[in-house]
Amino acid sequence: MAEFKIDNTKSQMRKGILEYCILGTLKRKKEAYPSDIIHEMKDAKLIVVEGTLYPLLTRLKNGGLLAYQWEESTSGPPRKYYRLTELGERTLIELDSTWQELVKSVNQASKKTID
Amino acid sequence: MKRIEFKNSSAQKRYDGFMKRLERLSSVLPKEDQKDVMMEYNSHIFESLQNSNDITEEEKLSKILNGLGEPDVFIKPIIADYKLGQATKSFNPVHILKALILNMASSVSYIIFFILYISLFAFVWTIVQKILHPDEVGLFVGENSFVFGVNSSENAHEVLGGWYIPVVLVVMGVLYVLITLLLRLKRKWNKKK
Repeated sequence: MAEFKIDNTKSQMRKGILEYCILGTLKRKKEAYPSDIIHEMKDAKLIVVEGTLYPLLTRLKNGGLLAYQWEESTSGPPRKYYRLTELGERTLIELDSTWQELVKSVNQASKKTID
Repeated sequence: MKRIEFKNSSAQKRYDGFMKRLERLSSVLPKEDQKDVMMEYNSHIFESLQNSNDITEEEKLSKILNGLGEPDVFIKPIIADYKLGQATKSFNPVHILKALILNMASSVSYIIFFILYISLFAFVWTIVQKILHPDEVGLFVGENSFVFGVNSSENAHEVLGGWYIPVVLVVMGVLYVLITLLLRLKRKWNKKK
């Protein structure tokens, strides 16, 4: 029972920061197609089911944080390349500072608990 | 859309089945969005096939499709959001009902909206009661009481008479529009969030 709860918490924590990590990846890579993003997120153990990434990308696109374009590929079907919009860049800056504050707060709270 | 061709007939059959299912599930979306969804998953399968270390096409495809999960699960959030947008634009009660049912699992607020819409039916019930018991239903005004619906006070008198039903219909219409505008606002707020 207790183990189930821990898994659930872990999964919720990952879900919460997934959008932030996608924006961060796109900032670093300038543009990327979903398979690329999936690899990054899987390497970072942030996603388990690959299908969950696509609705998330659609949500970020509908929210105006991402834009995309289809590019022809010589090896197969066209690839959909995502990039950050201006709003996406601004949101990422905001999330960066929120993340720093969060890390600081969590460290502080954990330290107090240990002390 | 450029379909992927497999040498193995079982893999081809499974791929065709998956794409057909995706096409059927996404058919509620506008043509352009549906094409986008189909192309996106097709591209995902192709790219994953190139990067897979498995030996047979069947094994490769099986792992890729298992990794994606069930189409009706992963496509649900896309359809739910589209349906909500369509419902709040058209004010069509059938669209609204479908959109709320699809979105209820994602947020408690949609359950509240669902209850708000359902509670509008209470007005329909008072209309029926007005027809069956015209003296007991209406807008009752007394010295210390004000009742819109079924009256329980003996000192109050009804003021609307035959106008009760048209007034209730107008109130229902206004509340329906207000709840739908609130729903539209909630969707916009969700996107900003």
